[in-house]
Amino acid sequence: MKLIINNLSKTYSNGLKALDNISMEIGSGMFGLLGPNGAGKSSLMRTIATLQEPDSGTVTLGDIDVIKQKAEVRKVLGYLPQDFGFYPKVSAADMLDHFAILKGIDSAKERKEICDALLNQTNLYEARKRNIGDYSGGMRQRFGIAQALLGNPKLVIVDEPTAGLDPMERNRFHNLLSEIGEHIIVILSTHIVEDVRNLCSNMVIMNQGRILLSGKPAQTISDMNGKVWMKLIDKEQLSEHKTNYKVISTKVVEGKIQVHVFHPTQPDSSFTPVTSDLEDVYFATITN
Amino acid sequence: MFKQLFLFELKLWFKKPSTYIFFLVFFGLSMLITAAMAGLLGTSTADSMAIINSASAIAGIINSLNTDIIGAIILITIIAPAVYKDFQYNMHPLLFTKPISKSGYLFGRFTASFLVAMFVLSGTIFGHMAACVLPGIESEKLGTFSLMNYIQPFLLFAVPNTLLVGAIFFSLVTFSRNMIAGYVGCIALILIKGIASSLLGDMDNQTIAAMLEPFGEQAMDKLTKYWSPAEQNTLLIPFEGVLLYNRLLWLGIAGAITLYTYFRFRFSQFNEPVSLFRRKNKKEMLSIASAPVNSLADVPKATQNFTRKFSFYQTYFLAKFEFNKIVKSIFFLIIIGLSILSFAAVSSQLGLIYGTSTYPVTYQMLQIGGGIFQFFMIILIVFYAGIVVWRERDSKIDELIGVAPLAPWVSFASKLIALVLIQVALLFVIMLTGIFIQMYNGYYNIEILQYIKELFGFKLISLSLICAFAMAVQVIINNKYVGYFIAVLILILLPIAFTLLEWNNQLFLFNSGGPRLPYSDMNGYGHSIYPFIIFKTYWLGFVIILVVLSNLLWVRGKEKGFKNRLRIAKSQFTGNAKLALSLGVLIFLSTGIFIYYNTSILNKNISSKKTEEMQADFEKKHKRYSKNPQPRITSVNWSVDIFPEERGAKMKGYYILNNKTNKAIDSVFINLYPEVNVSELKLSVANTLLLDDKDNGFRIYKLSTSLHPGDSIRLDMNLDYFPKGFKNSSAGTAIVYNGTFFNNMFLPSIGYSENGELTDGSARKKYGLGKKERMADVNDSQARMNNYISSDADWINFECTLSTSTDQIAIAPGYLQKEWQQDNRRYFHYKMDCPILNFYAFLSARYEVKHDKWNNIAIEVYYHKGHEYNLDKMINGVKKSLDYYTKNFSPYQHKQVRIIEFPRYATFAQSFPNTIPFSEGIGFIAKVDTANPESIDYPFYVTAHEVAHQWWAHQVIGGNVQGSTIMSETMSQYSALMVMEKEFGKKAMKKFLKYEMSQYLKGRASEGKKERPLMLVENQQYIHYNKGSIVMYALRDYIGEDTLNAALAKYIKKVAYQEPPYTNSIEFLNYITAATPDSLKYIITDMFATITLYENKTSKCSYTKTKDGKYLVKVSIESKKMKADSIGKLKDIVVNDWIDIGIFGSEQVNGKKEETELYLQKRMINKEKMEFEIIVNEEPEKVGIDPYNKLIDRTPDNNTRSLKGGNKESAAANEGGGGVTIEVK
Repeated sequence: MKLIINNLSKTYSNGLKALDNISMEIGSGMFGLLGPNGAGKSSLMRTIATLQEPDSGTVTLGDIDVIKQKAEVRKVLGYLPQDFGFYPKVSAADMLDHFAILKGIDSAKERKEICDALLNQTNLYEARKRNIGDYSGGMRQRFGIAQALLGNPKLVIVDEPTAGLDPMERNRFHNLLSEIGEHIIVILSTHIVEDVRNLCSNMVIMNQGRILLSGKPAQTISDMNGKVWMKLIDKEQLSEHKTNYKVISTKVVEGKIQVHVFHPTQPDSSFTPVTSDLEDVYFATITN
Repeated sequence: MFKQLFLFELKLWFKKPSTYIFFLVFFGLSMLITAAMAGLLGTSTADSMAIINSASAIAGIINSLNTDIIGAIILITIIAPAVYKDFQYNMHPLLFTKPISKSGYLFGRFTASFLVAMFVLSGTIFGHMAACVLPGIESEKLGTFSLMNYIQPFLLFAVPNTLLVGAIFFSLVTFSRNMIAGYVGCIALILIKGIASSLLGDMDNQTIAAMLEPFGEQAMDKLTKYWSPAEQNTLLIPFEGVLLYNRLLWLGIAGAITLYTYFRFRFSQFNEPVSLFRRKNKKEMLSIASAPVNSLADVPKATQNFTRKFSFYQTYFLAKFEFNKIVKSIFFLIIIGLSILSFAAVSSQLGLIYGTSTYPVTYQMLQIGGGIFQFFMIILIVFYAGIVVWRERDSKIDELIGVAPLAPWVSFASKLIALVLIQVALLFVIMLTGIFIQMYNGYYNIEILQYIKELFGFKLISLSLICAFAMAVQVIINNKYVGYFIAVLILILLPIAFTLLEWNNQLFLFNSGGPRLPYSDMNGYGHSIYPFIIFKTYWLGFVIILVVLSNLLWVRGKEKGFKNRLRIAKSQFTGNAKLALSLGVLIFLSTGIFIYYNTSILNKNISSKKTEEMQADFEKKHKRYSKNPQPRITSVNWSVDIFPEERGAKMKGYYILNNKTNKAIDSVFINLYPEVNVSELKLSVANTLLLDDKDNGFRIYKLSTSLHPGDSIRLDMNLDYFPKGFKNSSAGTAIVYNGTFFNNMFLPSIGYSENGELTDGSARKKYGLGKKERMADVNDSQARMNNYISSDADWINFECTLSTSTDQIAIAPGYLQKEWQQDNRRYFHYKMDCPILNFYAFLSARYEVKHDKWNNIAIEVYYHKGHEYNLDKMINGVKKSLDYYTKNFSPYQHKQVRIIEFPRYATFAQSFPNTIPFSEGIGFIAKVDTANPESIDYPFYVTAHEVAHQWWAHQVIGGNVQGSTIMSETMSQYSALMVMEKEFGKKAMKKFLKYEMSQYLKGRASEGKKERPLMLVENQQYIHYNKGSIVMYALRDYIGEDTLNAALAKYIKKVAYQEPPYTNSIEFLNYITAATPDSLKYIITDMFATITLYENKTSKCSYTKTKDGKYLVKVSIESKKMKADSIGKLKDIVVNDWIDIGIFGSEQVNGKKEETELYLQKRMINKEKMEFEIIVNEEPEKVGIDPYNKLIDRTPDNNTRSLKGGNKESAAANEGGGGVTIEVK
């Protein structure tokens, strides 16, 4: 099954162009959607998740027209939004059962089995009787993925799942995500390059509502190889470098500023070559 | 610090448009109400002598706007979140870490929001001022402008009330961090206000109620309720006595709450809201970090069910979830608790009449419970509609729920069901509380079926419609607070506007229920069920339309903007939605048309303004006939077939009309009741129909040959009355399924009738009619040619045959000649053996009968089964009355007294010849506390009063002039008082007279035209009943019962059954004056011919024990005597009166302390301040002037004073200077 997006556009009433003629094809496996805050990732996710309608364009999931047949999409959809909460004073187990009913799982016995399994899976079984309101950020995200996996989702969308998690929790979450079957479509939207590099076989980089780059992470990195150069400079030199070179990122290292510039060949000897990584690809793409 | 925070907050508020909108709400409402009072809205008016810009009128408006629900909600919105908002928007970590002081922060915020509230409330004042300068206000409605009239009520009420309410809301919301706490506080205050006013049913509770009521309205009422119109127009609100204490008490409470808030508030530990139930083990951490990750393969495959059947289960599940969320909230439980408490509190004051309560019958419980719960149930629905519609978005779970594969209608349906289930739960609470109160009072006739019908029938249907409506508003408007505003506007303000502007078309008033009848034990809900169902179906259609729209517009996801929502809605508008919408439209339109057909085509929907127009029209067209001589009815013979099931009657009969004038009569005028259908109206001589005014029901028949003096003709009539469909608002109670009661107002009358003329002065002016006196002058010899009961007959012969359903008994004046059954109907033939007034009634119901006898007079009580409680008291009342009246006045003219119960659609008893219809609401269910000698047995009293009318009205009847009701109503009151005093003793009279005094003083305060002296009373009830009682009781005291009764008997002998001209109050008073010794003749002038008020007071008193073991009482009294004019302006006059001085002690009677009279004598009071020394034999406890309140006095409580201990022996008993010493032997 494939998710095919064609010429998708959306402009908000305040004039903000969230999606600008986006087209792409997403197949099974983990798909990364990388972009800075405000790139239009969430708008795209919500449109796929039936929570929003585009001004124009189509989205199809296999035979399903996502925009017209919302009910059909919802039957096979698992969704973990970027920013969500829970009813106060409801325990995790009750909440998950609540979602299971909403997802149409009618047998109480089956619900119990599935919920218990998912709580185990997400390592929340011990804490299942506690109110979700008392959960830590990582536990909440794990619960979020548990509810997204209820039913038999063929399309799972996770929007910025690791923002604000500590490294341990992020790790745990990555493990969870990587567990989700190979045979379903998983879209992971994030602004953290590492997430994509660790998990995704395919990705796009988005900014200002447009797709700037698409491909396999490894491929894009190798395309960049030999074109990224690094130099340590003083603060005062920064503006000069910015006008003369295509600076893709700057970083403060031991009081000096480390700049990465994009250049087909070595600009001069003060620049040293860098083994490019996805971060360079990302920065090069969005500063373009 | 304070200054910066204060100014910052203030600026913030004055930048918000809402501040100005709130101001304009008060401005507009105040202007609207004032304009309505000034008669500018073109609505029908009633006469009033009160101006609109007096301090008390302005206080009334300020209070009604500031302390009602709108005022409270606006105050909550402004004051309550002053601190809460920092938590709501997560500002507190930023703010509380700044170096601000607690007092600066709290008081800065509070003061600023308080000032904003003051600004907003000042809209009331400016709105009033603006209304006062509108063109077209009649000059007599407007006094001279005085700024104090505005400032004083604002300072007395608006400021302290806002402080109080503000402090409570501020504190509740600050601590609980939940706006709901503020709303609960608001409901609690409104409930306390309600309880306080319900306490007033018993006059003894006045001071408690005035203190308890938080807003000072009762306190002000206590001080000003006896103000005459003149005083209302000129005086400022007196800031003294109970009002002062009330304000101090509640300001103190406000201060205490504020201080508590100040001391409890901490910046640091305030990151958690104060919670009633602390959660345990809240921060227990689990060691989960190291737990291994399991494999996804362990998760079993799910089978999903997307059938409609499972959608129903999901709906049920979600409804249950919402229901539990609401019901388990602590605030919901608090509100229920408060309501139960006030239900219990109010029910202890059940239907008080003269301070005597009724049995807790089921309809009373429902009325009280429904009344208390009704109001906040609507508020609760509006509030929770917002909560449930916004729950997902408020908890930020909306995206998770939005993507769930739920059928599109499940969310709305489940939430609506939950909201309705909440109502069911509340209704259960009402039912259980009601039953509990009944059992607690030892009343076990619990009508479960009636509870169910009322609560889960009528109430639940209405509430469910409101639930759906309030939710639809929330969904469609898609802004919680605007949604609240619109819902409150339509559910609460619109009905008020309807009343103010006299729009009465129920088709436009959301959730109207058609004409309603109060529940009656006799007639149940009667015929109001059918229109109720039709009207509710109509609104159901409306609500279905809204619900379908809301389902389509339901926000599922992140779509913003109405346009986008509309686009999505369009795509969903298919199959079922279309079907449901068409169904809604179909129901709405078809029932709407059907209602219109019933209320506006089959019946006429007449507004009160339209009625005024018709009255004016009638007078303009036909007044010129008023002086034409007309024949008078001398005999009446009816055959009336009552059809209770169809609520109709066929009336066939004739009048004999006799020319009693000395002129030939050439035409006969006949008045017809517009709704009665006339199939035949035939005079026995040749005639032509000259005029037939169908609108006003007025016909003129020209006789071919004139009717000569002394000659008679016969008028044959064949009429019927069957109601068609249902009306817009009036249910019609004349003929009902069980409890028919109508009198000859329905039947044709002869001649031009002045009763139909407009009486209100400004209305008459509006329609270009001249001034009309309320009644003809006492000496008007023309008017005295009619008695005040009927203008077309003197004494008539009466006979009738009634028929009704076989299970009912039909009754009319006269004696039963024959009773038989025929064609499945039951017939009764009644005939009166002596001439009676042209005043008779027909009754029919399923009666039980209780028989008794007094001498040869048969006593019968026709009552509804189950209402046996007070039958013996009534029969006893009849016997004692017959006893007293026959002995003191004259013989009883009939052979029978019948008391007949009728449904409580009206609450009076009325005396027809040998026939006394008696409302089920005023005595049949009274619970007389026979153990308490002071409790008033009003079934006995009403009976005695009505039996007295057989003398005073049916033997003696005054002309149709001022003062004539003295000879009927006042004398019936006097007669009843005498019978009561004989039966229950002097002490029982005290409480009764206290009520009479209060009723009189309140009545004169709201007099719209002119207060008249008793002898010129113009059918003013507060004068001829209430003042009449006091005056006659005092008169009896001054000249003696026997003397008075002898004069009355002489008068009766002279005027009983007289032909015109009829007697008047001057003739009546002549008999009384003749019996009064010269030294007391002044009382006749004071009591009857002028309006006299006293201000008697005991200013000082003490006593000492004398050597011989007696007690010397010294008392200083003050006495002031005043005459009032018709608007209540007072003029002091010299006191030169005989007034009681009394001293009281106490004794133990059956273990209870009872007051005993130690000394009571009339003393000449001829100075404003006097001192008396009196020796009594027993220890005195209370002393005073006019202790029994025989004279009219607006502060009766200060007439007496309690004496305190001076137990030392007095050396000389006669030391008391200029005082007079009297020894009681």
